[in-house]
Formats: sequence, C-alpha cells, structure tokens
Amino acid sequence: MAYNYVVTAHKPTAVNACVTGHFTGPEDLNLIIAKNTRLEIYLVTPEGLRPVKEVGCYGRIAVMELFRPPGETKDLLFILTARYNACILEYKQDGDDVSIVTRAHGNVQDRIGRPSETGIIGIIDPECRMIGLRLYDGLFKVIPLDRDNRELKAFNIRLEELNVIDVKFLYGCQVPTVVFVYQDPHGRHVKTYEISVRDKEFSKGPWKQDNVETEASMVIAVPEPFCGSLIIGQESITYHNGDKYVAVAPPAIKQSTLICHGRVDANGSRYLLGDMSGRLFMLLLEKEELIDGSVTVKDLKVELLGETSIAECLTYLDNGVVYLGSRLGDSQLIKLNVDADDSGSYVHVMETFTNLGPIVDMCVVDLERQGQGQLVTCSGAYKEGSLRIIRNGIGIHEHASIDLPGIKGIWPLCVDPNGTMDDTLVLAFVGQTRVLLLSGEEVEETELPGFEDKQTFFCGNVMGGQLLQITAASVRLVSRQTKQLVSEWKPPSEKNISVASSNTTQVVCAVGQVVYYIEIHEGELKQLGETVMAREVACLDVTPLVEGSDRAHLCAVGLWTDISAHMLQLPNLEPMHVEMLGGEIIPRSILMTTFEGIHYLLCALGDGSLFYFNLNPETGYLSERKKVTLGTQPTVLRTFRSLSTTNVFACSDRPTVIYSSNHKLVFSNVNLKEVNYMCPLNSQGYPDSLALTNDSTLTIGTIDEIQKLHIRTVPLYESPRRIAYQETSQTFGVLSTRTEVEDASGGSGTQPVRPSASTTALSTSVSPNKNALRSSNDSDGAFGEEIEIHSLLVVDQHTFEILHAHQLLKDEFALSMVSCKLGDDPNTYFIIGTAMVYPEESEPKSGRIIVFQYTDGKLQQVAEKEVKGAVYSLVQFNNKLLASINSTVRLFEWTAEKELRVECNHYNNILALYLKTKGDFILVGDLMRSVTLLAYKPMEGCFEEIARDFNPNWMSAVEILDDDNFLGAENSFNFFTCQKDSAATTDEERQHLQEVGHFHLGEFVNVFRHGSLVMQHPGETSTPTQGSVLFGTVNGAVGLVTQLPADFFNFLQEVQSKLTRVIKSVGKIEHSFWRSFNTERKTEACQGFIDGDLIESFLDLSRDKMQEVVQGLQVGGAIMDDGSGMKRECTVEDLIKLVEELTRIH
Amino acid sequence: MGDFLKGLPSYNQTNFTRFHSDSGVKTTSRRPQVYLPTTDHPSEQVITTEKTNILLRYLHQQWDRKNAHKKRDTSRANLDDDDDSGDLTPPKKVPRLGQMEEGNST
Repeated sequence: MAYNYVVTAHKPTAVNACVTGHFTGPEDLNLIIAKNTRLEIYLVTPEGLRPVKEVGCYGRIAVMELFRPPGETKDLLFILTARYNACILEYKQDGDDVSIVTRAHGNVQDRIGRPSETGIIGIIDPECRMIGLRLYDGLFKVIPLDRDNRELKAFNIRLEELNVIDVKFLYGCQVPTVVFVYQDPHGRHVKTYEISVRDKEFSKGPWKQDNVETEASMVIAVPEPFCGSLIIGQESITYHNGDKYVAVAPPAIKQSTLICHGRVDANGSRYLLGDMSGRLFMLLLEKEELIDGSVTVKDLKVELLGETSIAECLTYLDNGVVYLGSRLGDSQLIKLNVDADDSGSYVHVMETFTNLGPIVDMCVVDLERQGQGQLVTCSGAYKEGSLRIIRNGIGIHEHASIDLPGIKGIWPLCVDPNGTMDDTLVLAFVGQTRVLLLSGEEVEETELPGFEDKQTFFCGNVMGGQLLQITAASVRLVSRQTKQLVSEWKPPSEKNISVASSNTTQVVCAVGQVVYYIEIHEGELKQLGETVMAREVACLDVTPLVEGSDRAHLCAVGLWTDISAHMLQLPNLEPMHVEMLGGEIIPRSILMTTFEGIHYLLCALGDGSLFYFNLNPETGYLSERKKVTLGTQPTVLRTFRSLSTTNVFACSDRPTVIYSSNHKLVFSNVNLKEVNYMCPLNSQGYPDSLALTNDSTLTIGTIDEIQKLHIRTVPLYESPRRIAYQETSQTFGVLSTRTEVEDASGGSGTQPVRPSASTTALSTSVSPNKNALRSSNDSDGAFGEEIEIHSLLVVDQHTFEILHAHQLLKDEFALSMVSCKLGDDPNTYFIIGTAMVYPEESEPKSGRIIVFQYTDGKLQQVAEKEVKGAVYSLVQFNNKLLASINSTVRLFEWTAEKELRVECNHYNNILALYLKTKGDFILVGDLMRSVTLLAYKPMEGCFEEIARDFNPNWMSAVEILDDDNFLGAENSFNFFTCQKDSAATTDEERQHLQEVGHFHLGEFVNVFRHGSLVMQHPGETSTPTQGSVLFGTVNGAVGLVTQLPADFFNFLQEVQSKLTRVIKSVGKIEHSFWRSFNTERKTEACQGFIDGDLIESFLDLSRDKMQEVVQGLQVGGAIMDDGSGMKRECTVEDLIKLVEELTRIH
Repeated sequence: MGDFLKGLPSYNQTNFTRFHSDSGVKTTSRRPQVYLPTTDHPSEQVITTEKTNILLRYLHQQWDRKNAHKKRDTSRANLDDDDDSGDLTPPKKVPRLGQMEEGNST
C-alpha cells in the first residue's frame, strides 16, 4: 500500500469559460468565470470587479451557461462537468447567509457512444424550453426544462451528421430549433433542425446551406429582431437566416483564426470576436428597414479594435468594459474606447489576472541557498509565453517610498504631546540624525531641538511623556512638551557608547566591555548598575518579557571574540546564564521575545544565521538551542505587532518574518530584495505599517497577514518548452519556439511575427546548416504560412535577461534539455535533444543531441550526435547521458575526445517519452504503455527490465517517489502509484509493477519535480510527511504530492470521510465519484491518496461544523502523541493544529 | 472612425466609473472567498437520462404509428413488455464491448 497526500499549492488560473448575467440578485450584474474545477463569481461595481464567492466543483467544468426561465427574477446557472454531471444552480442570499442551491442535478452519461472530438457542447434554448447537449458523435441530447416535473428526463436524438463542429439554438422560433455547422467528405455545411419533444425526434428545419467555408468553425445565433445566424470561418463571416444571405471576407481576419465571440448589444447588432493571435475585432450587423416595418441585415462590417491577451472566451460587462478570459496567458479586463490611442488601438487594458497556465515545464531552484525552493515555470504559449518565478512568502504593499541612501537605523516617535499615534520618523546616518515629520501621507524634514545631530543608536518614546535618544556620546532624555533636553547620561570614561538598547523605563548601554544599566524617571536618568563583561559587547537587549509590563528583569548580551550570549539579571547585572554560540561569526543582534506565551531568545549573527532558544524568564536559562540560516548578510532583529500578535522582522539580504504557529516558530520570506533596518509605524497617514530601508530607499508599506505564493513574470513573447538550471554559469537554459511567417518573395525566407526573446537576445547564433539532415531546397512554404523556429535561450538567473539565443535548424524541434557534467570532464554543459519534423513522417526519423557550453558570455557547441528519432527526454545518469529516442532508451558515455558514444539500449516501448532516475534505477514513461522500471548494470554495461505496469496508461508525466514507489500522471487527468514488489515469490509477480494507488486529480499534469516551496528546517519538522514532489498543470495549477506514514494516512482518511459528510457538494456530485480514477476504459475507486484540498477546507468550516467532523475521531499513539501513548478523543483544537501544519507544507 | 464603438450598452451608468489603478495596469491574482456549503438543500428536480436505445425507441414509435388503428390496450401492453426488454439490452452489450476493447489494446 502506498500512502500519499495530494494538495493544491496554487489553484488553476487558466480560464475555460466566462458568462455575464444577473446571478446573485435581480439587480446585480455578475461575471462568472470557470477555471477548470473552480467557479469564481464577481459583482460589477463602480470600483471594478468585486469578488463574491469562489465555488469548488467536484468535476472539470465543460459547460457553463446562465439562463432565465420564465417566472424567475434572476438567472440560474447550468453546469455540466467533463464526467457528465449536470446541475442547475441558484444563488440565494439571506442577509449575510449565502447559499448556492442545487435546483436540479443528475448524470447524463450514456453507456455507449463515442465522445466527440470537438468536445462537449452545451446550449440552452433562448426561451428556456430545453438544454441541448452534444456529447457523443451522432447523438444530440435534450434536457427538457419542465418546471412542473420532479424529474427532468433527458433523451437522445439521432443526429445523422456525425461530425458537428458547432451548434446553437436559433432565436425567435415557435419550436426549439438548432442551427449547426457540420463536416462531411464534401466539406462543411450549415443545417437547421426543429426539435420535437413529443416524438423525441428532429424534424426538417427551416433552412440549410450546403458548402459554406471549409474552415467554418463557429455559429452564432442572432437574437431578435434579426434572428438567423452568423457563420464564422477562417476567411469569411456569413449572416444567414434562410431568406437572406450576407457574406464578407475582410482581409484582416485571414491572418489568424477567430476562436471566440461575445455579444455586445442585446439585439445582436454588435459582436466582439477574438482570434488565436490575440487580436480583438468588432463585428457590426448593419440594419435595413423594410417597407413592412421589419428589419433585416444589410451588411456586415468587421473592425480591428486592437491587441489583447489570446482570448479563450470574452464577455461584455458594462459601459464599454469587457472581460477577456485566457488559457494561454493572463486574463484581462479591458475598456473599449471610442477614440483610438497613439498606436491605433481602441483597447485599453485596465487590469490583468495572473495565469500560470499552461505550465509546460518547470524547475525548482534555491537561488538564495537558504533551504527554500522557488519555482521557475515555462508558462503560456505564443505571444503570451513567459517564465514565471514563484516563491512563497509574505508580501509588502508599498504605500510610499523616498530615495534616501545610507540609512543606519530607523525609529518611530510620537512627538506631539497630545498625540497617540506616531507622527515622526527618526533616521540615523553616519555622523548625523535626520527627523522626518509625517503629516497625513506627506513627509517633510524637521528638527528636534533636544536631539543631538550625531548618529543615533536608539530612540523612542519613554515614560512620563519623554523622548529618548542614545548616541555614541550620551543617553539624552528630551521633553515631549518643550522638545528640550531634560537629562543626559554620559559614560564615566571618555570612551564612546558602542551599543545600546532601551524600553520605556530602562536603558542598557555598553562601552567596550562595560555594560551600564540606567533607569528612566521623570526628568532624570539614574545609573543603577554596571558590570564588566569578559569581552567587548556586540549587541544588547532589554525587551520586557511580561505582556503589558514596561520593565524587563533580564538583559541579553552578545559578545565579540568568544561569540557568546549572556543573560544578566537587572538591575544589578548579575550573570545568570551563558551560552557559547561557537564559530567565528559575531552576534549582531539579540532579542528577547514571547510568542504564544513561550519566551524565546533570538540571536542573529553576521553571516545571516540565527540561533534561537527557549528562555526561562526566572532563571535566564536557555534551552532547546536551534539554528537556521536566514540570509547571508548581518541580520538585525526587530519586533512588530500585526493582528495583535507578536512578530519579529529579521532584516537582511533575505528579509524574513518570524512568528509562531501552534507553538512552533515559522520563518516566512518577505517578498522584498533587501532590508537593512525596519521599524513599525502607526501614523495617521500610514496606520499599522512598517518603515523599511535598504541601501538607497526608505519604504513605508503594510504587510500581508499570511504567506502566500508570489509570482513574478518574465515575458518571452514566444513559447517556452523546457527549462534547466545551471549553477556554474548562474543561468537558466530555456528551449523555446517562435512563429515566423513565410515572406511574400515565395518561400525564400521567413520573418518573425513579432520581436521576442530569441530575436532580441544580447547575442545570437545559428546552427550551421551543413549538417542539415535533408537537402535545403525543399522550401515549399507558401506565402503567409507559419513555421516554428526553435531556439536555446541562455537566461541570467538574477536579471532574467536573455544573454544568448541559439537558433536550431529549419524543421528542427527542440524537445529535451539537461544541464549536467559528463564523465571526468569538469565542465558543465547544456545538452539538448531535438527531432527533425517533416509533415510526411508520422514519427520523426532523425534528430540530434547537441552539447553546449556557456562560459564567459559565449555559447559554444562542444559536440553533436545524430540519432535516428526524436530525443524526447535527456537525463544525467551515472555521469553519463541517458536519452529516450522514439521507442529506445539509450545510454551514452562521454569520451575523452568529447564525443557521445552509445553504451547500451533498451527497446521495449512504443514511445519512451519520460525518464526519471534514482541510483541505478530508471523509470520510463511510455506514450501508452504506462511505466517501466529498468536497472542499469554498470559492470555488464547493460539495462535490465525489472518490472512493468501492464495497464494501458497514456502517460503525461512520471516520477520516482522512493526506491519502491512510482508516481504516474496520465492523460485522463488521473494519478496512479505503482509499487515494486521485490518480495514476490515468483518471477512473474516480480515483473509486475502493482498499481497500488488511484486518484482523479482533474488536472492535466505536464511535469513532476522533486522539491518544496517552503523553507525546510530539520529541527522543526512538524508533520510526518516524507518527500515532496511538485507538479505543474495545463491549467496553471501547482500542487504537491507527499508520502505519509500508514497510521497518519488512516487518520486523515477518516477525517476525509467525515468531511465529505459535512461539506455538501455543489451540484450534488459525490466526492468518491469525483476522486475515482477514471478513463474511457475503466473506473477505479480512489485509493492510496488523501485529497489534501478537502482536508484543508476543514479550516474554513464554522466551529459547530468542525465539532461535527471531530466527533468520534481519536488521536494519540502515533498521531499527536502527548507522551502518554494513550488514545483519546480528538478535539477541534487538535484537528485545527494538525491541518494548519499540513497547510504549511506548501 | 470609432463610430462602431459609440453607444455601447450600459446597464448601470456608474459601473467602472470609480475604477482605480495607481500605476497603469493593475495586476491581480487574488480570488474570492471560498464558498463551503454545509447545509443540504434537497434538489427540486432530478435530471435523468433515458436508457432506452434510440433505435429501439424508433422502432417502437414506428410500431405505434403502424398499429395506431389497432386496439389500444394490446399495443400498450406490448409496448410495456418491449420497454422492459429494451432496458435490458444495453447492459448486455456493454461488457462485451468493454472486453473487446481491452482485448484490442493489450
């Protein structure tokens, strides 16, 4: 048995469908977006789109339509999933209580029938008499919308025309009438049928039109008064209503293919059309009034509006604003302007919505080397192609920033004697101090007469309405009323103060080895203690540990030279405890703090590492020493409060927020490049904010409550296919494809359609044609024909600048890449695998493996090997190169002459698409024959087929979980796990990889990568999960698969089954049905996987529902061991804690 | 020139009038709050799909038409009987088809 946990780290972002209507209320204008399995409901408001609800469906949404049956005051939503679950949803709001009620539901799958290649089509009669579904070839399914019947009896009608391209219901018909485009051996035709519900038959429709354009792909039903339909083709647009026929062939639409449309006016006089190249058109139906008063279409006009993201769907919202959903790039909210802008575009982009899909490849890298991976994905396609850098962390929302270089410290002050909020920022520089006055959001420089204009070490508001400033020379007490100095303490010797710390009543400062303790009184500073430390003092802290108390009883001191942390008792500065930190890096910042009632001492060193201890406030005793690496530079620790909990900000080159959750410290990255100093700020203009400084700038901003994924986009304007990271050259290698169009000169050359990464790189090179595996006089491309040019891009890891682009041969497709060393050769290479793709060959017959080296800003081809097929996959294996070439798995060794020489082969595949290795084992993912496990025998120099999964799975990605467990993703959106059975008694059994886990993910997985998006702390493993495999999907989702111990798995399975009873599914689809492994051939119950998304939804339940879930659950033993080893009833708190910890693995 | 963009429909004049983007294009990746239903609302209607083979249904219809002049009772009785057998036919076919497919693919 395998025990896996699957969870989504980033939900799908590609938009499949969008509709506009009045769903949440009769007066509400809503936008509803379908993102694979998720529905998002928005409200159109004066401020823009306001999010209302996100609804998860237990199915991939294939059809989404709003409709308004007679008698309803608002629209209903019809949903059909890819597994044929149909439902009709209604939004009901009672005060704050929102419910989405399933008015009707059921499964409309037929037991036989061939699913149509043009996909599922669902349409609703304009008069809401029926829903029409085209699910299978040769059948049209009707769901009659009877209001009075408890049962909606769907029935099939035989459709003679097998290959239906598109179908719609016509407007203004007595009998429900469909119009459709279909294909037969003679071409494409348009036909209409009337639907007789009584006879369950089609009858002859009012009109038909044979031989429309051969590429006619869409039909649009035009509402009254025109009625009739629009037929959209590759080159032409035709209006047809049986009597009248208007066709136009505007040159503008020929360049690409129109793929989506959205009606603008209710009377159907204007439509928006989007094409595959991301252009947006307006189609106008010009009206002609006839003598009898009726109107008809006189002419069609098509106008190019401008360029947008490549649209999958679009919908007109209001006042010229359009939502445009994209699958290949970011979705957009656009405004249509009456006047064109400077570039001639009528389109203004108002808002973009990040989309990671399609994730074609990705890699996990830890560029900052701090134990936290970030993901770099090859996302999008065509002009929307980009690299996305995804990292987990806390975001800072910048509200103001000032260019101020050289800041050495920063503190907030409330100077106004009657003020309660901060109104001033004090900035320390070398040799001086500057004071900034905050009035509202404005910032201006001012002076505080009582302050000394030297570098401030510390300042703040203290007791008795006084201000404190500590400089190298003295501790100064200043009256808030008079702004004048009222008391000053100077070190007894002539030496300067080196470090200092204070709270509102106490000051500690160090002069060399001597620590002084001073108390603050009204108008007076009293020195009460003095002690000499063994070494010079490096850092100090007197933060009060008791909540609400303004006095500390402990002082923490970090020392130079012996690298130690000391706890001293106040006021006499008696030593209480010493902790030697070891190493040679001095402590730079020391801080006492309390998280969730537990006292800690944090001590940050000059190399970015941090020690932390549990601190006993009575004895000063430090225990449970732990160490983490936060950055690489000296770190400064500062406390701030957010949502009435304490947090610590660690300022360094990798700023981090430290907080506590479930009594464990959590270290969260902050999404900023560098922070030298920070302080909390709560002023009128900037409430609950932080002031942060780096080398050049002061920034004021607010901070996210929780950590989440942050995405940075590097547009390439062409399709990225593969990515590999190379540490030695500090670069990424990216394989990408751009589109070029044949020149007018008749195939002698091609031109890129737009500037993109491969044409705008700092330097470029081209594969020499001498090796062209085919004569070059075959330039048979016709004018305007699009061809694909593949390149290797070398991308800087810091700036993401395209350093170099190497163009491959004509007709050569780049398929695979690896960055690795080979043999004894010390160099690191980018090795790419290609295929020569010719239209007449069903499978590529030739390809190349090319070895490149990138050094000193130059890309050099080191070796090249021609092979007889497509190089689908390349991996480094035993210091050799492992490749899959068509059906062969082949191992190459790297000779001293820097050549690739074949060592051994394995042939037993259809197409070996994917390779993963561990030790001497190789997992091969086949096009259609699932996975095979090979072992390499280094001594014999051969492969041995260990075991194979004999199920016919069409693979999309494979991964090795551990020595015995293998994970596969197949093309019907399922996961399965296989297990090697080494203990089997017979050879035959051993040769079987047993399928032990099945799960329907509902996402098409393109890539698996070992790695994690959260920081790994060996000392803090809070959940018993093992390993972490990330996956990226076509819809832009990122998820995680991890392994669980058996007892934990069983516990979670129990939680899961309880959750399925408490959480009701929208559309009444059973969770067990949704997660069951399902292909055209078979369905298997979900096993061996926990649905982490369902488990995590526990945290969103109300308290009483949580109680319902934990009812009867037992913890203890291996789960949430309290030391007694006894089983006990699970409480809501127990489960919250457990699930919260699970959420932190991603 | 932009006449075709004049008079775009307006449902509520104020919609998008206060749309605010500080610096050019706003980039959003936030999502609405997740709706988590915990109360069960019984469906008013159930969608079912007819299991009868469409060829059989067609034959029945033809039969009905032909025998429309005959005595109603008998034809209806026949229909009911046939309906039952019609319901039984598909399940017999399915496993055979499935087996054939598996046989082909392995």
